[in-house]
Amino acid sequence: MKNFTNLICLFAFLCMAGFVHAQTPFDAIMMKQKELCIAVIYDYGKFDEYWEGSYLRENQTIAEVSRHTIAPMVAVGLHDKLNFYFSVPYIKTESSEPNGGLLEGAEGFQDLGFALKYEIINKELGKGRLAALGAVGYATPLTNYLSDYRPYSIGNGTNELSIRGIIQYKLDIGLYARVASGYYFRGETRVERDYYYANGSYYTDWMDVPDAWEFNGVIGWWLLDSSLKLEGSYYAQNSTSGDDIRKYNAAQPTNEVDFGQIIFSTQYFIKPVKGLGVLAYYSQMVNGRNIGKSTNIGGGLTYQFGI
Amino acid sequence: MKMTTMKKNILIFSICACWCMLLVASCDSDLPRYANYSAYDYNKLDEDGGAWTPVLLTSPNQITITAPEDVGSQAYQAELASLKTTISNLNDGQKNAVSYWTNNPIIRWNEIALELAAKYNLIPGPNPDGTYTLPNPATPEGPSPFPFAHPAYTSRMLAYLSVAQFDGLISAWHYKYQFNRLAPYQNDDAIETAYAETMLPSYPSDGAVIAASSKAILSAMFPLEKTYLEERAAEHLGSLLWSGSNVESDIVAGEFLGAEIAKVALARASKDGMSKAQCPKPVSDSIKQSAIDRFGWYWQNLEIPPRPVGLAPLFCNVRMWSVPNVADVRPGPPPAIGSAEFVEAVNELQHLQDNMTEEKRKIANWWSDGLGSYTPPGHWNKFAKDFIIKYKENPLRSARTFAYMNMAVMDAGISCWDAKYFYHYPRPIQAIPGFKTILGTPNFPSYTSGHSTFSSAAAEILSYLYPNEASLCEAWAKEAAESRIYAGIHYRFDAEVGIQQGKDVAAYTLAKAMNDGAD
Repeated sequence: MKNFTNLICLFAFLCMAGFVHAQTPFDAIMMKQKELCIAVIYDYGKFDEYWEGSYLRENQTIAEVSRHTIAPMVAVGLHDKLNFYFSVPYIKTESSEPNGGLLEGAEGFQDLGFALKYEIINKELGKGRLAALGAVGYATPLTNYLSDYRPYSIGNGTNELSIRGIIQYKLDIGLYARVASGYYFRGETRVERDYYYANGSYYTDWMDVPDAWEFNGVIGWWLLDSSLKLEGSYYAQNSTSGDDIRKYNAAQPTNEVDFGQIIFSTQYFIKPVKGLGVLAYYSQMVNGRNIGKSTNIGGGLTYQFGI
Repeated sequence: MKMTTMKKNILIFSICACWCMLLVASCDSDLPRYANYSAYDYNKLDEDGGAWTPVLLTSPNQITITAPEDVGSQAYQAELASLKTTISNLNDGQKNAVSYWTNNPIIRWNEIALELAAKYNLIPGPNPDGTYTLPNPATPEGPSPFPFAHPAYTSRMLAYLSVAQFDGLISAWHYKYQFNRLAPYQNDDAIETAYAETMLPSYPSDGAVIAASSKAILSAMFPLEKTYLEERAAEHLGSLLWSGSNVESDIVAGEFLGAEIAKVALARASKDGMSKAQCPKPVSDSIKQSAIDRFGWYWQNLEIPPRPVGLAPLFCNVRMWSVPNVADVRPGPPPAIGSAEFVEAVNELQHLQDNMTEEKRKIANWWSDGLGSYTPPGHWNKFAKDFIIKYKENPLRSARTFAYMNMAVMDAGISCWDAKYFYHYPRPIQAIPGFKTILGTPNFPSYTSGHSTFSSAAAEILSYLYPNEASLCEAWAKEAAESRIYAGIHYRFDAEVGIQQGKDVAAYTLAKAMNDGAD
């Protein structure tokens, strides 16, 4: 009962502050009960080529499209084995000048994201520990942003439920390997036209946003007495349905979106200030379908403390 | 003990995950791919329809068909027997075809036309060397597939489709009541129709007229779709038997009539001037120079790389349906660049850009009907379709609605394009430094607005045909015009003059509609 009251208070606080998660529902890190982590991440992504179906092309109508994201996040240890996450990204998109389309970019709060991560197994195995975790996430649009305005749309504009299984083996010397796989159930997004073409006619203002599988393979190392983490990973997402962007035409939420990206990241916990960490990452999309060949860099601050 | 806890944990997680999956899965629904309606009782049969004035035919019996076998004849009785066998052995695909095509297949062929418009409404992109290759009907497969079904092309495609259907059905009605051979189920109690029973004579089959004429027109307009259209027509013709609507000889006569009327329509299309609408650069440059000489301004394409020629500069020369001379309906000139009226319009656009609301954004998008869509003429065909279903019109009446509306819409397009290239007025993105839009600016001059002209012409015709819907149609046209200002791609005067222009053009079509014998 006490935990439940705390949770309510926390929700109220989070909603007011507009925060989200920092330890993520993707990794194998668990926070102890009554620990809280707040973080702010800034991400800058850009692309000047995109895959139209499987064909990689450029398009001077949109020139180079950039995307700035500020994502406040909160993670909470509800229990030693159950963590809660919350995030509200603010996104701004635009084209570089000059461009042939002269279209406005877009900006605003994107989706309210919640997630729960549960540690199912954590046991010693050989010279390390084996952990298995499961996560469930839910995201829902926070504002009435237009999903049908690609490439400037700030999101899919649909409710999204994700489930994910994570297995990690970490050697006592700090080296670890992790694989995760998940599935995104995506609903429909309401667009601002009542007819559209997606391999045939649709007489509705709802578009079905395809579900997707994800896969993540990670190798990392905790160094300097577990204060520095270095990680390299491959992350892929593949839609289970959807149409291709048509020739020299705009993308739309019904598209099959597939991509694979290489990510390098590092996180450093600054010992003199207990609980404070900095993180930075770089990612490059290496393959894709109906998505920009994006290069991203990001960084942020995390602060973890007991409550 | 430890093991038990772990199992419980897994169980809890699984239950939670399953519950969430159900929550999302239950939201999935089948999105509509075509109009959701069933066969209905026609509100009337229009028994005198054979006496209405056709558009292209000089008389309803210009195309002759032979008299049918008498109902008592051995040949007809054999057809009835064969039909009974067919109906008693329908598979699921055939049953689905019967419920899909219904007893007003005009709707379905119009939807097929709109779908192909949307499929082919893709603007050619640049080549690596910065040039553009335009679609060529002689090599439809490309590199840029033919056609580029832009609004002007689509308006013309729909006009020919609807006119062929309309004239074909006037002729069919004429012969139906001349020969007066009733439907199979009226001649044999053992035959039941899947649709509402009617006293409309079934020779020649109106459905077959629609299938054959639509297939022929659309195959000419979308040459890469011949196989697809052949399949659709075959299924439609099959459904006429499977539904008990027609015997084989009804269908054969209807197919002949439909194919013949399509030839008449396509003969007109082949020399209406459309093949020259997309002129070469020197002609385009001379049109631009004329505007500079006359007015001191000019429109230019701002894409990268720039398109050397705007869209269909000589669409203005295409033969109109009802207006004798395109200059008769040409509006007066737009405000001079820099004039007080121009500055006022620019200020409005800048104010809108700085104060965009979700409501205005939605209006801009709702009417955008841009690249990849069925275009504004397609949008108005959707409205017409909804009225046809609402008022339970028979196929002849339905074809009349589409024919007059689409003739007026095409004429409106021709008139609008005439104004566009005559005045060659710059778009807001060209005239206002740093201006940005929320929809892509089209590749043709600003004045007057195509959306406004198309929409008000369509609204005029629909208001006449469906007086109860007049205020609705007028409001739609006004909103469609307004939407272009919100989108940042037209000045208010483009929209307002376009609305009046559409009305002026539609008046010529209305005069015909009022005197065709149907009302």
